[in-house]
Amino acid sequence: MTDFTTITGPLTPELAAELRHELRTPVNHIVGYAEMLLEDAQAAGAGERRRALEETLGAAREVLTLINRTLVPTQATVGSEALDALYASLREPQRKIVRIIEGLLAAADAPAGDAELDDLRKILHAAEKLVPTPANVPVAPVVPVESARSVTPTATPGPARLLIVDDDAENREVLRRRLEREGYRAECAEDGRRALARVAAESFDLVLLDVLMPELDGYEVLARLKDAPATRDIPVIVISALDDMAAVVRCIERGAEDFLTKPFDPVLLRARISASLEKKRLHDVELEYIRQVGRVIEAATAVEQGGYRSGSLADLAARPDELGRLARVFDGMAAEVEAREERLKARLRELKADIGIARTSTELTAALDGDALETGGMFGERYEIVGTIGRGGMGTVYRARDRELDEEVAIKTLRPELVSDGALLERFKSEIRLARRISHPNVVRTHDFGEWRGVYYLTMEYVEGITVRELIERRGRLQAPSALAIGTQLADSLAVAHAQGVIHRDIKPQNLLLDDAGVLKVMDFGVARLAERTSTLTEAGLVLGTPAYMPPEQLLSEAVDARSDLYAAGVVLYECVTGRLPFEAATPVALIARLLSQDPTPPADLTPDLPPALSALILRLLAKRPEDRIQTAAELADLLRRFG
Amino acid sequence: MAARILLVEDNEMNRDMLSRRLARKGYDVAMAVDGREGVAMAGAGAYDLILMDMSLPEIDGWEATRQIRAAGGPRVPIIALTAHAMAGDREKAIEAGCDDYDTKPIELARLLGKIEALLGRAG
Repeated sequence: MTDFTTITGPLTPELAAELRHELRTPVNHIVGYAEMLLEDAQAAGAGERRRALEETLGAAREVLTLINRTLVPTQATVGSEALDALYASLREPQRKIVRIIEGLLAAADAPAGDAELDDLRKILHAAEKLVPTPANVPVAPVVPVESARSVTPTATPGPARLLIVDDDAENREVLRRRLEREGYRAECAEDGRRALARVAAESFDLVLLDVLMPELDGYEVLARLKDAPATRDIPVIVISALDDMAAVVRCIERGAEDFLTKPFDPVLLRARISASLEKKRLHDVELEYIRQVGRVIEAATAVEQGGYRSGSLADLAARPDELGRLARVFDGMAAEVEAREERLKARLRELKADIGIARTSTELTAALDGDALETGGMFGERYEIVGTIGRGGMGTVYRARDRELDEEVAIKTLRPELVSDGALLERFKSEIRLARRISHPNVVRTHDFGEWRGVYYLTMEYVEGITVRELIERRGRLQAPSALAIGTQLADSLAVAHAQGVIHRDIKPQNLLLDDAGVLKVMDFGVARLAERTSTLTEAGLVLGTPAYMPPEQLLSEAVDARSDLYAAGVVLYECVTGRLPFEAATPVALIARLLSQDPTPPADLTPDLPPALSALILRLLAKRPEDRIQTAAELADLLRRFG
Repeated sequence: MAARILLVEDNEMNRDMLSRRLARKGYDVAMAVDGREGVAMAGAGAYDLILMDMSLPEIDGWEATRQIRAAGGPRVPIIALTAHAMAGDREKAIEAGCDDYDTKPIELARLLGKIEALLGRAG
């Protein structure tokens, strides 16, 4: 087959006949498919579509008329002028057809039938072949990866727009005509100043720049184009009569994409323009890609701040490339996070309801007698005792008003025997310093440690609410959503503390406060260490109330780590969902023996409607050996959040 | 019963379009993608008419037509489809054993006229 892109005419009768056939074949395809689609559109009664197809047919017939008028079978030869004129005249109807069909393709519903879309694509394909130009014969020097190709960001549709800058009118005109014939839209500027003005005001895909010009020469124009951020990325090909190496070097140094010497070879010119445009396109694709990656990063930040709406990357997610996959995965994860938050809120609502009922039934049972500090009295210069909150193995907890800051605090006084040893006291102070660093909504804040009249005390955030111990005692076993709300918040607080290097060592329902909103607050981080000295088997009952929440390694005074807290969390969860402890016995010693040697009854056996997976999770936390448990609090929090 | 047409054409888009357009006009269209397949199918099946592209790979349409005619059997009308309207093509086609000839690109109405004329004469 003859390559008409290299023939400038005149044409022999044989070549003219061949060209006539070559040009008419795509027209015939356009007409054929458009007529078939039109028949279908008539059946469907789609008016707009019908009009579009009729317009396509009209444009195709116009093309046929133009071809037949120039390439008359009987005519002897066809001059190059006539050929140029024919090609130029075909572009308008060609653009029209491409525009219409692209519009129909864009408007087509995906499920409207692949055959129909296929036919539209065939028309588009045929329309692209209407004019033999290098644009139809892809000269892409680099084959980009498929993912990048699918982006085509703000690529100007239609032929590329080039600016020819040359002070010689004849040179300009020759080049302009040649480029138009190649299928480009070529415009001219007669000097450097005008060129800069046009490039700044309009949009060009490439600049062809003469070097030797009066006033602003090509070097200066090039330098200014490459200096300005807005025009820096427009490829520039320098055309000059100069063929010395120094000029080439100077232009390349100033950022020219390529260099051609006059008189130039048209094939080389075409190849270099194509290559430069392709490079520019890939550059644009890259920039766009980076911009879209930026959107995913922004979305990630939004998720972190809780401001992400799932689906806001929908357009990215539709991309067939890696970035699309990333967006889909990301969006799915964000949606999952949202769903989890919703579930947590629902759990908190249930928990709140439980707390409300528990509190109203026990409002008046808080009175305690025999307090060491009297209600209404002052503790130190600063604290006015409002009441007693509770008494435990470590000391007594009071509710007090901090007169300096005018806020309520909790004061925990420590039994003298716990702080009689100076070395132990120092260790305790350092524990408290560490614990004070934990700042988390699920952790009761420790304010100060001090001594007044021989009494060592801690001041803490005062939380109006009840303990999980009270909740279980008054409500009995909790429903799964309430237990999950407690467990998740407990795991969150432990994750933060463990990350700071703080092990609680005494997680138990008495240390878990719930405020009226259902927010769990863990008390006594850093405090339990103080009690450890006396936590021998015989004294455990006295100091810590009960060893029921201690893992075997803690009872046996072996190394205690974050997983010990997870065991205790397991006991808390067990108690929440069953209303009883995993191990029970009449004496602490019997309890410890049982705890070390027996397996707990699966919670699901005691609470038949408990999700089996939750029962299994609790048993995993209660494993005798730390390495058999869930290993981190963060993992536990994550697992608990997954429960629907 | 619908008339059966054998379309021998190597260009996929031409084949796809012409076969579908003929099918829409009520013809039963079978397709061969080159001259060799065209000859084989013409010998094996009972077709009412053959549309033969003349520029085919393997053996071209001229040769395929000659082989179909040489094989004997019922004389099925053949319409030659040529790319260029050159003087003498028509005579050359008739000489090779075709009954009519049309130039590509196909104008459906014109081709249908020729098909109907030949089928009418044959029927």
